[in-house]
Amino acid sequence: MTTDGPRPLALSEIAACFEGLIPAEIATASADGVPNVTHLSRVHMVDDERVALSNQFFSKTMRNLAENPHACVVVVDPLSYDSYRMMLVYERTERRGPIFERLRRDVDAIAALTGMAGVFKLRSADIYRVVEVEQVLAAVHVAEQ
Amino acid sequence: VITAETAELVESPCSLIVGTVDATGLPDASRAWGAEVIDDGHVRLLLSTQAEVTRRNVERGGRVAVTATHFFTFESVQFDHYCSGAAAAIAESDGTPLERVMRFITAGIYACTMTVEAVFDQTPGRSAGAQLAPS
Repeated sequence: MTTDGPRPLALSEIAACFEGLIPAEIATASADGVPNVTHLSRVHMVDDERVALSNQFFSKTMRNLAENPHACVVVVDPLSYDSYRMMLVYERTERRGPIFERLRRDVDAIAALTGMAGVFKLRSADIYRVVEVEQVLAAVHVAEQ
Repeated sequence: VITAETAELVESPCSLIVGTVDATGLPDASRAWGAEVIDDGHVRLLLSTQAEVTRRNVERGGRVAVTATHFFTFESVQFDHYCSGAAAAIAESDGTPLERVMRFITAGIYACTMTVEAVFDQTPGRSAGAQLAPS
């Protein structure tokens, strides 16, 4: 049997990207093709196929997702500086339960550390299925090749 | 469209993230490596050739969102624009300060002139998403 292309990456293989050391970014698009891009303080791994994002001020992002469930998130490995471009599909929103509480504690901690208590406030935990992960080598590693 | 305060933020050593969309509606996220405000309606962005999807989307003339964020205050603005000039290899572009390119060493850089249609406040808080210009 032959295989085409690189082996698909499991999220657990890039767990360092989900430690919140380097902010991620998320892009969404409206139904008429207008993109929106914003920072994420942290992307949380739920399982090997899903991530959770904290919804704090995602007004445009959530509007876009209501029209177009696809999102693109880029996370960075804080050890290698390689990036991982993930294509996501929005699945559901949680406003209580263990995932919500995990994200709420994290948002509260980040808010306290950055002087943004009272500004950063978790509205919901949004769960996405990861349909594709693409590694983008850091420039220093490209130069080594 | 672009005020002096917005230009100062965008041209500072800030975080620049880029959102584009392909013809089928799939969004794409990447980073920009420098921005230069040409006049109050145009910005030249320096983009990495490694972000191949971004380049395809920019070159097809799709809409582009760029959010600039100050690293310490989180003050953020987002430009909604499109590529109005051909993406040019950085060696072919003129007048781009070398230090902007060298801010982050990446595999390859090209420059793209953008026509800005709207500017939004993206600073975390209640005003996030509010349109700043045109007012």
